[in-house]
Amino acid sequence: MIFNSFHFLFFFVIVTSLYFTLPQNKRWILLLLGSCYFYMAFVPIYILILGFTIVVDYFAGISIENAVGKRRKFLLVCSLVANIGILCIFKYYNFINTNFSFLLHGFGLTNPIPYLSILLPIGLSFHTFQAMSYTIEVYRGKQKAERHFGIYSLYVMFYPQLVAGPIERPQNLLQQFREKHKFDSDRVFEGLKIMIWGLFKKLVVADRLGIYVSGAYNNVAQQDGITLIMATIFFSFQVYCDFSGYSDIAIGAAKVMGFDLMKNFRRPIFAKSTGEFWKRWHISLSTWFKDYLYFPLGGSRGTMMRTYLNLMIVFTVSGLWHGANWTYIIWGGINGFYLVFALVTKKYREKFDSLTGITKFPRVHLFLQIVVTFGLITFSRVFFRAKTFDDAVLVIKKMLTFKGSIFNDGTAIILYSFFAIFFLLAVEFKREFYAGSFSLSHHKNFWVRNSYYSLLIILIILLGVFDGGQFIYFQF
Amino acid sequence: MIQFNKNSSFKVFLLKLLAFFITVYLLDFVIGQSLRKFYYKQESGYDYLTTYSIDKAKADIMVFGSSRAVNIFNTKIFEDSTGLTCFNTGRYGEPIFYHYAVLKSVLKRYQPKIIILSFDAGNFSKNVEAYDRLTALLPYYKDHPEIRPVVALKGPYEKLKMISNIYPYNSLLMPIITGNTAYSKKKYPHINGFIPIKRTFAGPLQTFDYSKETGLDTVKINSYRSFIQDCVAANIELHIVCPPYLIHAIGTDRSIIEGKRIAAGYNISFLDYSRDSFFIDKPQLFADYRHLNETGVALFSNKVIKEMGISKL
Repeated sequence: MIFNSFHFLFFFVIVTSLYFTLPQNKRWILLLLGSCYFYMAFVPIYILILGFTIVVDYFAGISIENAVGKRRKFLLVCSLVANIGILCIFKYYNFINTNFSFLLHGFGLTNPIPYLSILLPIGLSFHTFQAMSYTIEVYRGKQKAERHFGIYSLYVMFYPQLVAGPIERPQNLLQQFREKHKFDSDRVFEGLKIMIWGLFKKLVVADRLGIYVSGAYNNVAQQDGITLIMATIFFSFQVYCDFSGYSDIAIGAAKVMGFDLMKNFRRPIFAKSTGEFWKRWHISLSTWFKDYLYFPLGGSRGTMMRTYLNLMIVFTVSGLWHGANWTYIIWGGINGFYLVFALVTKKYREKFDSLTGITKFPRVHLFLQIVVTFGLITFSRVFFRAKTFDDAVLVIKKMLTFKGSIFNDGTAIILYSFFAIFFLLAVEFKREFYAGSFSLSHHKNFWVRNSYYSLLIILIILLGVFDGGQFIYFQF
Repeated sequence: MIQFNKNSSFKVFLLKLLAFFITVYLLDFVIGQSLRKFYYKQESGYDYLTTYSIDKAKADIMVFGSSRAVNIFNTKIFEDSTGLTCFNTGRYGEPIFYHYAVLKSVLKRYQPKIIILSFDAGNFSKNVEAYDRLTALLPYYKDHPEIRPVVALKGPYEKLKMISNIYPYNSLLMPIITGNTAYSKKKYPHINGFIPIKRTFAGPLQTFDYSKETGLDTVKINSYRSFIQDCVAANIELHIVCPPYLIHAIGTDRSIIEGKRIAAGYNISFLDYSRDSFFIDKPQLFADYRHLNETGVALFSNKVIKEMGISKL
């Protein structure tokens, strides 16, 4: 069941209405049943995998809390191995096997290990990471183990963020299932507004740009450099709107019922550096890696070399988290390199800035910083989008030629795409740089707000792509 | 009972929600009706040709099919050779159920003397995008109840979506604007629906491997069967034609085999030129692998008219 479907609309209205009519102590049952139905609407059998991790981590949490000394660590490791083991089997088994075959082939040997023909359970990486954050927090003593099996199951399965995040922390979400949420019309409207904006981003921007991007990237050999540059820029906007659109709908849907999910995006388009970009993009994952991988590795407390190594490890693992393919690992590596390079060259860049005097023109400086950051991030996304490493290299080679003409599979598609980007940038620019000033979306006059959101709905019906299909991040 | 926040009034909430829905409805109605008006005012473009096919065309010979129908069946040659009027209802990329929907609308108005259905290799292949292509029929949904079952193939919620006045014209704003200008007439010149291609194929010759084809779509097969049945029931002379391809094929296309088998069951002629040696490996007659150019079209049209036995001579 995808958020941009009538199936979800009916589901959401029914579940939300029932939620507010049920007494507080029964609501978790409704949410849990609803979440099971939501998940089973994809591939029903995979709920067993989810069930397995829930049972393992539920008992691990209690056992860790009750244990002392080395046994605590042992139990945590067991829980992490179970979670990562599931990920490895369903997500990385064939990838590891393929690379093993390649290695054996180098020695003239044949790999006897068979491949698995299994579908990746939807959102596996998201709910596994959420479950892992629970056991780690219990181990660290920052979270009490949840004794109520239903509430714990709901923590892992809460339908708005089940398949594509935000990846919640137990401290934020678990206690909210025990809070009494009364119907609050302001809150409901606020949630609905966030959902409408999320739908706009998904249907009008992401899926529209996706038509051109797919046209270009599915046939890289036939495309010219200029087309691939445009398609890659479009992809940058597409992936942002696709994923942040999903997050907005998830956050909005939860808000309608009274839940506050963590912010997942903070207008990353306007990041001034790649470091800042990662503080604005997929915040729930970035902070997850920071808390549970970067800091345990030593973070930036050791030598500079150690810091660089830690950054490279975190971003390479982040790449692997996104997909079992070398293209994702390279994508992660490139982004890690950006951060290391930024640290290494910080002094020189500051010197360069003062020499050129660019800092005397703060707006120009800001504009250049944003453009360069966007360019670097967009470039790395060639590896994120290309089907294979060879395709990615071919795309980059062709892009560097700047030759050829723009592939035009219909002028209307390109015009709608530019309109979508322009609209998105206008709204995000206003929110980023003029947050406190005149706002249509939060105007004090009801009719102004009403007209703005009505117009968004009209634009969705008029220009949205209704056959666009699933969200990109579902595959992770 | 719903539990409310002290400061929250459910009545106010409902009133605000109602105001929102009324605003959306009014905007949807006004913009949707305007789009409708200008959609039907178009005098050129693909949508205009579809409207003409569904609402106005009354030719003796009607051609149905996708891009190969549009670019290969020269209406002028058919008219000159047969002494009958001819119109090409073909539309780029459309699957068999689209053609069936157009046929149903045509048969509701009148009975053509001859119908030609252009058949392609892979016509019955499973392909989700084929269902998305039915979007082209949405503007006709309200006025043409006969096409509604076909549009319903798009998805279970199409009827619900059609409550909106704008939805039938989703993504059509630009085509509607250009379709109402002279620019469109220049860009989409046609001869009774036939759009010739002048260029000559210049790429390297390759082979096509039919053995890699996906399974057959029973919905498409049923639409094809219904297409034949409706023509037979209306006593219309139906010819199914698979125009030539430039390239050699490995294996046999399962759709063509199935198409021939079904046509034979109704005693309908199925003229298969997909492996005609007269055309294969002759790039000078083609614009690309699948489409004949003007020169190829002239040769093919005369050949097919003769074989159909509909020449006036």
